[in-house]
Amino acid sequence: MGLFRFKGFPGKGTFPHGIHPPDNKFFSADKAIEVFPTPAKVLLPLLQNIGAPCEPVVKSKQQVAVGELVGKGKAFVSAALHSPVAGKVKKPAMVTLPNGRHMQAIQIAADEDQNPGEVLWEKLSAKDWPTDCISIYDPATISKVIHDAGIVGLGGAAFPTHVKVMPDENKMIDTLMINGCECEPFLTPDYRLMMEAPGAIVTGALLAGRAISAKEIIICVEDNKPLAIERLRRITAQTVIRVAVVQTKYPQGSEKQLVKSVLDLDVPLGGLPSDVGVAMSNVGTIAAIGMAVIKEEPLTHRVISVSGGGIANPKNLFVPIGVSVGELIDYCGGLTKDAARVVSGGPMMGFSFSDMDTPVTKGTSGITVLTHEDVDRENETSCVRCGRCVDACPMNLVPTKLAMASRYKNPALAVKYNINACFECGSCTYVCPANIKLVQLIRTGKQQVAAMNK
Amino acid sequence: MIGIVTIGIAAGTMLVMAVVMSYILGWANKKFHVEVDPRVEAVTEALPGANCGGCGFIGCSDYAVAIVANNAPVNKCPVGGEGCAAEVATIMGVEVGDSVPSRPVVHCAGHTADKAGKSQYRGEPRCAAAHLVAGIQDCTFGCLGFGDCVVACNYDAIHVNDGLATVDYDKCVGCGACVKACPRMIISMADFNEDKVPAILCSNKDKGKDVTGACTVGCMGCKACTKVSDIITMQGDLAVLDASAYTYEKVEGAEKAIEKCPRNTIAFIGK
Repeated sequence: MGLFRFKGFPGKGTFPHGIHPPDNKFFSADKAIEVFPTPAKVLLPLLQNIGAPCEPVVKSKQQVAVGELVGKGKAFVSAALHSPVAGKVKKPAMVTLPNGRHMQAIQIAADEDQNPGEVLWEKLSAKDWPTDCISIYDPATISKVIHDAGIVGLGGAAFPTHVKVMPDENKMIDTLMINGCECEPFLTPDYRLMMEAPGAIVTGALLAGRAISAKEIIICVEDNKPLAIERLRRITAQTVIRVAVVQTKYPQGSEKQLVKSVLDLDVPLGGLPSDVGVAMSNVGTIAAIGMAVIKEEPLTHRVISVSGGGIANPKNLFVPIGVSVGELIDYCGGLTKDAARVVSGGPMMGFSFSDMDTPVTKGTSGITVLTHEDVDRENETSCVRCGRCVDACPMNLVPTKLAMASRYKNPALAVKYNINACFECGSCTYVCPANIKLVQLIRTGKQQVAAMNK
Repeated sequence: MIGIVTIGIAAGTMLVMAVVMSYILGWANKKFHVEVDPRVEAVTEALPGANCGGCGFIGCSDYAVAIVANNAPVNKCPVGGEGCAAEVATIMGVEVGDSVPSRPVVHCAGHTADKAGKSQYRGEPRCAAAHLVAGIQDCTFGCLGFGDCVVACNYDAIHVNDGLATVDYDKCVGCGACVKACPRMIISMADFNEDKVPAILCSNKDKGKDVTGACTVGCMGCKACTKVSDIITMQGDLAVLDASAYTYEKVEGAEKAIEKCPRNTIAFIGK
């Protein structure tokens, strides 16, 4: 790009290793966010976040309003669940989420003649977001509101946000990094949100920064999004927030890699960014914090992109959580003839699934439909020890060693080679000339390690 | 001349060293002698040496030690069977207790055509890997058919037959390796009081409607079998059969349950 230079930060704007897959954002990057009409029913799985599932607090046949609490997180690492529509609670159902979890879900039949999505989107994309007098909000109150609003990381991992903003005496947080990299190919919801609702992101960032008493707030964006960078720079000019433009590279959006790129800090093995004084949140999460604190709306809707060569009209949509994927695909003109795989998330880290009734959860950042051309691969051949996976691995691991330790059931060897440091970004599988399913094997290996440690 | 002297010195030194070393070895042998019960060796000899772990101990020699030192029951070896138990009992001078053979049961009846939502899967062809992927088939409890249990079996006694792991009870010795290998935990050990015993061939704990959508032969929790046979009970939405309570007198109830089951989920299995 060269349009924006990375300067004013200790890092180099990039990290060692990683890959450069085609970003394929052209499908949906220029499509403005549309509000998805209220569906006839929503299905809310009780587990939408990392951690413990929440417990239902509504009964069958009960009438609920928009934003009413339907599930309560009892454990510390769990999140509340709210109804995205006004309607009647039906019998609970079982759903299998794309990540393989088999989960009970609350079913709500929506009343007719309502459009809560329209109202919420108007509030989110409004121009009236305050950037001053943030100090009237007490940090403890902000944390509590985040907890009550059921906010989880909207980047995909869905880690409960209130845990991140909880003050910890052992870990002094001085920097809040807001992740707008969106390095995953095809996905565009974060880009569109930065374009269309930058006010919510800025206000949310100031609020989150106040909650953790951060000295510095940095919004990080990859240099393939020049329009979003310009917009954010203009709106943050009068605030303490700085915009860091990092190089386009996969997986730049991974928190450890981004800390290295911007601040030149190494997160210790098995640690979190909080170990080096950094808290990180996705732009969508930050906007949700703004919505919860300023406009008092819990997390019930999110922006997702429906994209890929297998979709007739790729779109960015503002959808209620719990709407079925099939409905979204139909809204976007249905599948094309050469559609081969429906993936929840992007092609690198997403999970492909077959049941079109699967609901959208808080962690679903996009639906990507890949074509036969995208997914067809040659059969697996033997590892030739070329070392490309080692060059690609952003965590400096030896993926082939880990994969073979998993295939030949040697969890002790896998632990020796730090299998749990792998965050399954898929770079190794992407570059493997022998088509070995490295990430899948490593994921299986982690299960073996967990079984061994039990 | 020098050659002979040199050889003489070398030979003499070696001789002296050999004598000294042998005394040290002889002393050490007495000093560090460990008393081993000769019965341990005899029992180890009597056991088949398969080291399968089916007895619950780590290999045959560990089991032999347990029998001699801790009075472990002598009839635990699934490979050796009754003959082996009798031999070990003679060595130990004890009675062989009543032993009922324990054999694995695959709690799934879904062959390829029975399973709904079978998708084209091109990942690592192993159950342990496929188990972590959603959307391979609608039933999240049923047999995946990649044969992790086949690889685990040392006796060629379990095979994947049209997408379903099937035990060959003529070859099976009941070591339980397949039970540990299955990531979906649908194989369990059951007491075989008779050569043929009834079994519920489903593990799906979901509600009836979800089961019928996923598979044509899954238990939908209609409770019909529990009314005609007293060894079948409901655990949530899944019928469960207590194999240890089955005797020949209960064959009528079992046959009726098989007849009543609208999904053909119950069947007699065994030799």
